[in-house]
This record gives sequence, C-alpha cells and structure tokens, in this order.
Amino acid sequence: MRFVPVFVLIFASLLAACTPERDPKRVVIWHQMRVDERVILEEQMKKYMSLHPDVHLEAIYKETEELRSGFIIAAIAGQGPDLVYGPSDQVGPFQVMNIIRPMEPLFDTSWLNSFTPKALTWYKGHLYQIADKLGNHLTLVYNKKFVQKPPETDEELVALCRKLTVDTNGDGRTDRYGLVWNYTEPFFFVPFMSGFGGWVMDDSGHPTLDNRGVIDGLKFIRDLRDKYKVIPAEADYNIADALFKDGKAAMIINGDWSWSGYRKAEIDIGVAPLPKITETGLWCAPMVSPKGYSINRNVPDEKIPLILDVLKFLMSPENELETGKALSTMPTRVSLYSDPFIENDEILKNSREQIEHGRAMPVVPELRAIWDAMRPNYQAVLGGVKTPEDAARDMQALALRKIEEMNE
Amino acid sequence: MNKLYRKIFIAIFVVPSFLILIGVVFYPFLYNVVISLSNMNLRHITDWHLVGLNQYQKVFTEPTQPSFYDIFLKTIIWTVANVLFHVVIGVFLALILNQSIRGKSVYRTLLILPWAIPQYIVALTWRGMFNYEYGSINLVLTKYLHLPAVEWLKNPTEAFLACILTNVWLGFPFMMVVALGALQSIPHELYEAADIDGASWFYKLKNITLPLIRPVMIPAITLGIVWTFNNLNIIWLVSNGGEPSDSTHILVSFVYKAAFNLYRYGYAAALSMVIFVVLLVLSLTFMKKTKATEAAY
Repeated sequence: MRFVPVFVLIFASLLAACTPERDPKRVVIWHQMRVDERVILEEQMKKYMSLHPDVHLEAIYKETEELRSGFIIAAIAGQGPDLVYGPSDQVGPFQVMNIIRPMEPLFDTSWLNSFTPKALTWYKGHLYQIADKLGNHLTLVYNKKFVQKPPETDEELVALCRKLTVDTNGDGRTDRYGLVWNYTEPFFFVPFMSGFGGWVMDDSGHPTLDNRGVIDGLKFIRDLRDKYKVIPAEADYNIADALFKDGKAAMIINGDWSWSGYRKAEIDIGVAPLPKITETGLWCAPMVSPKGYSINRNVPDEKIPLILDVLKFLMSPENELETGKALSTMPTRVSLYSDPFIENDEILKNSREQIEHGRAMPVVPELRAIWDAMRPNYQAVLGGVKTPEDAARDMQALALRKIEEMNE
Repeated sequence: MNKLYRKIFIAIFVVPSFLILIGVVFYPFLYNVVISLSNMNLRHITDWHLVGLNQYQKVFTEPTQPSFYDIFLKTIIWTVANVLFHVVIGVFLALILNQSIRGKSVYRTLLILPWAIPQYIVALTWRGMFNYEYGSINLVLTKYLHLPAVEWLKNPTEAFLACILTNVWLGFPFMMVVALGALQSIPHELYEAADIDGASWFYKLKNITLPLIRPVMIPAITLGIVWTFNNLNIIWLVSNGGEPSDSTHILVSFVYKAAFNLYRYGYAAALSMVIFVVLLVLSLTFMKKTKATEAAY
C-alpha cells in the first residue's frame, strides 16, 4: 500500500500540468512562415533574447489553414499564442469572431506612420494587423536560360510560349513548356480575371463573378492549354514547381515566396510583372496582401508592453532589411524604400512594379465563400464539363448561397 | 480494513483513466451534440444559442453540390471497395506468408512497408504518380502497355478511383498482419487430422482456416470499416480537397470543409452526429450478423 501516495502524487502532477498559467515573460508566436523565413525569424528572436535574457520568445509553425482553425479554437477557449502571424485575409474572420485586439490604441502614431499604409490592415475602423512583408503576390518568374526579354502583353506571352514549347527528341511528347503554374486554383486565376476587367467582389463585399472578366479569363487559360498547347494538360502547385525547377518549363507564375527556392535550385531567374491584356489595356492584377502580426484578444493588459517591444524589435528597419535581402521580400518600413539594395535589386524592383499593378486582397470573411464557389466551376471549365459563360453564372449563384450559409 | 484498502487501491487505478475518458471522449461527444443543436458559426461563435434540429434538417435537405445523399452513397462505395480489397489481398498474402517459403521475413517486411510510411507522404506520392503527363502510372500505361493515358485527376470517376487505389495499397498490410497472427494460432493438429481424412486444400481453407481466423478478422474488419469510413487524409490529399469540382468528397471530408473552410460549426457538428449514427448502426449490425463475439472453438 505504500504505492498509494506515489500514485496520488503522479496524478496530481498530471492535473497540474494540464492547467498552464500564462508566463508574463514568455511570448509565443504562431506563424505559417516557410523554412527560409523561419530561420531568419528564429535568428532575430535569438538576438532579442540575448538583449533581454529574462524574456523567452517561442515561434511555432503551423500550416496556414491549421494555423487559422487552431487559433480560432484556442483563442475562443481563452488560450492561444500571444501573437499570430499570417496573410491579411485572416483578419476578417478573426475580427468577426472577436479574437484579435485592435492595435491602434497601443502604438504611437509616429511609429505607425513609419510603415507604408499598405502594411496596416484596418478593418471596421480598427487596426488589426501590422505587416513586416508586403506582397504575397504572384508574378511571372522566368528562367533566363530560355527567356531574354519577358513578355509585356498577352500577345507577346502567347507568342513567346509557342516558341518555347518544344519537343526536343521528336517523340510526340512535349519536353519543355513555355509556361506552367498551378492553374487549377482560383487564386492563380485572379490575375487573368482582373486583366480582362473582372474582380471577385465589389466594395461592399458582394461577389461579382458573373461578368466578362471571368468569362474571357477562363477562355484565355483554356486556349493556352487546348488551342496553343503551351501549358501542361494537368498541373497543380507541386508539378508546376517541379517542372520549372527541372528546366522543363521556361516560365512559371508563382508568388514571392517561391523565388529563393528557385535560386537555391540554381536557376538564373528573372521576375517580371504579369502581362497587360491588349484587348482591355489592363495589367493582369494579382492579389496583394501584407503578411504580419496580430495580437490575441486574450493577452492580458500587463503583458502588452512586452508584446509591443517584441513587435517593434522584429519589425525594426534593420531586421526587415535583413529579411528583404535574404528572401527578396518587400519590406514595409518607408525608410527602407530609399535603401540602395531595395531600390536597385532587380527582383525587388520588378516585384514592386507588380505590387503596384496588383489589387489588395479583400480581408472580409466572404472571400472564403467566393473561393469555394469559384473552384468547382472553374475546374468544370477546365474539365470540359461547363462553358465559361455557364461557369461564371454558376459561380455567382453559388457564392451568394455560400455567403448566406456562412452568415446565417 | 483490508477490504477498504483494496477498494481504494482499485479506485486509484481506475479513476485516472476514467477521468481521461471523460476529458477526451465523453465531454467532447456531449459538447458536439450540443453544438449540433445550436447555430454556432462565423457570426455566432461565442453568442450561439440552441436552435433545435435545424442543422439536422439542413444536413438532409440543403441543396449542396453534391448532395448529402450522393456523398453518402460515395462513402459507402468507398468503404466497401476499400475494406473488401484490404481483406481479400491481406488474407491472400497472409496465406502465402504462412507457408514455409524462403526469405519469408524479407517478404513480410516489404509487404508491411506501405503501413510504415506516413500517410501524408504516401498520398502525395500517389498524387504525383497519377499526374496525366508525368505520372508513372500513365507512363507505364502508354509506354509499356500501349494503352491510352487516363486523366486520373481531372475526371470525377477516375479521381475517386485514384483515391481508392491509394487507400487499398495503404490498407492491406494491416489486414495481412492480423490474418497472419490468426493463422499462426490455428493448431496444426487440425490440418493433420484433415490430411488423414484426405481433405483437399480448398476444403481445409473453407472448413478450418476461414472459420478459425474469423473471430480475429471480424473485429479487424469492423475497425477497418470505421477507419475507412472516416479516412479524411487520403481523399483530401490525393484529390486535393475534393477536386475536381468537389466531386470526390466522402462524408468526413465534406464535414471538414464545412467546419473549417466556411466556419459552419453547428452544421458540421450535426453532420458528424449523422456520420456517428450511421457508423454505429453499421458496426453493430455487422457484429451481430457475423456473431463476432462468439468463440470459434
């Protein structure tokens, strides 16, 4: 019977372990940064901890969707990390669920003014996210081995793709495609839709999918595949990425997150803005969204000064510049825009031009329903089951229904 | 006094596991029941209230695309096809491995491999193999068998078939291991006696082997049904979240999408309850029909 106290002890300690207290000197960040971003973040965190030995910073990686659902569950239960990092579109649902804190009362205006306005995500009158990177935008990435001058219009794009799509060994199979990208995903369709004059929603968040922009954009992509045969019959993100890395595709449409990976694969890449559509005179406009930090609603007031200090450190011009140089991402502090590296680096220069052509990604939660409505219909066009006209009409109807379901 | 100590001693062993069960099974289950009767969603995440059977009504009547009944049918096809192949291939291989063959341990290790690789890796590898132009499956079909290439991931039926093929590959080792264990526990004397009576191979299989591995296989099959019915990973990863056009969903991937894509927690909870009841009824009927709890000897 002398074991009894031992069991009681073990059990009591188990229970104690289940109810952690918020450590006032420990700051936890949940983020969805890819590996090379993560390495830099962790180095910068170490630097902070060496300057403040009593503070412990902890970064936990979660995949974007998992981060979102995990944070919702944790924050509603009164738990969760102190800071949550991700693209700005998560602000919409988080705000509606009241799980992030307005930030404008916490920071002094002069500090906020040192950011480009695009980095500050305001929603329903409050500031909910401050970004350290701008972009998350698609561009045309080309392999300089095959492409000397990137195309500026859709006509040039088609002509160049036709020239670059080749069957080198004459076995009837294409050995190199002019262009590849994850074209089954609606996010990657947006530039074409906008180039032909469409956009996902109006200013009030009402979907606007049944229009010429969507129809002509769909036709354009279908033509690239079926008429000109310059893109593969089937390509998801991984396939497109692998083809470009293997030199089996001359150009790829991909986001700023992919560039450092291509350089690591020793491809001499160039980055160019997506082309202008001749018929409309409009540039293909990808969605542009800042990526940054929001503060968990559950962070107690007495911890806020520490959180602010950490944020100010992580988003200091020095740290942003370091990140920008390593990853070719666009910083958000205005003072950095006159830095010689940011001003002159070829990739960053073109990236900036693309950002200027782009349109801000809406932060309203309705965007989720719109993606969900676009995806099946878009894929039905590519699968030959629907005409672009029918698909556009069905997208709109489905988006309206899904928004209604979501908001009921 | 001694008796009391004994009771306390037993209680100390039982209480922790009971508390854990309450924490991880009973409480979440009851909470799910409550949510399924509520309007919890994006707009009512903290201020939700009970709305009766509304969400259940929506599950059965909402004009989703595909409809609940289509997805339900697909789930049944998915489960039956998978479990059937798992069992047939598993038992067949177990029968072979149960013979005295050379290099048995090598074959056994190789055959268990699919089970040892993380599902995530398997699913994405198979997805790559199903690619129209670069996937190894189409390359084999066109180059060596001179058959036309199949658009595996672009057409609904083929995409669903691709998911089933992946899961069959992934699932047979479990049934094989279980069947092998059961085969090895059959007393050898039974076969010797049958041999003396001049029984054929098939007769022995039908009258000794299969009846004696049944008590082990039935619970394994029941488990297999539950796992397969709820196997989100393979569908989600191989078909990239129900592509093309949400046509490859089974009930559980559909719930996942409803809950986490569109934040419809009440609806998703109700659909989960429906899945739970379906599975409960299926498993109980199956156990009862096959008399799984009865001893073989």
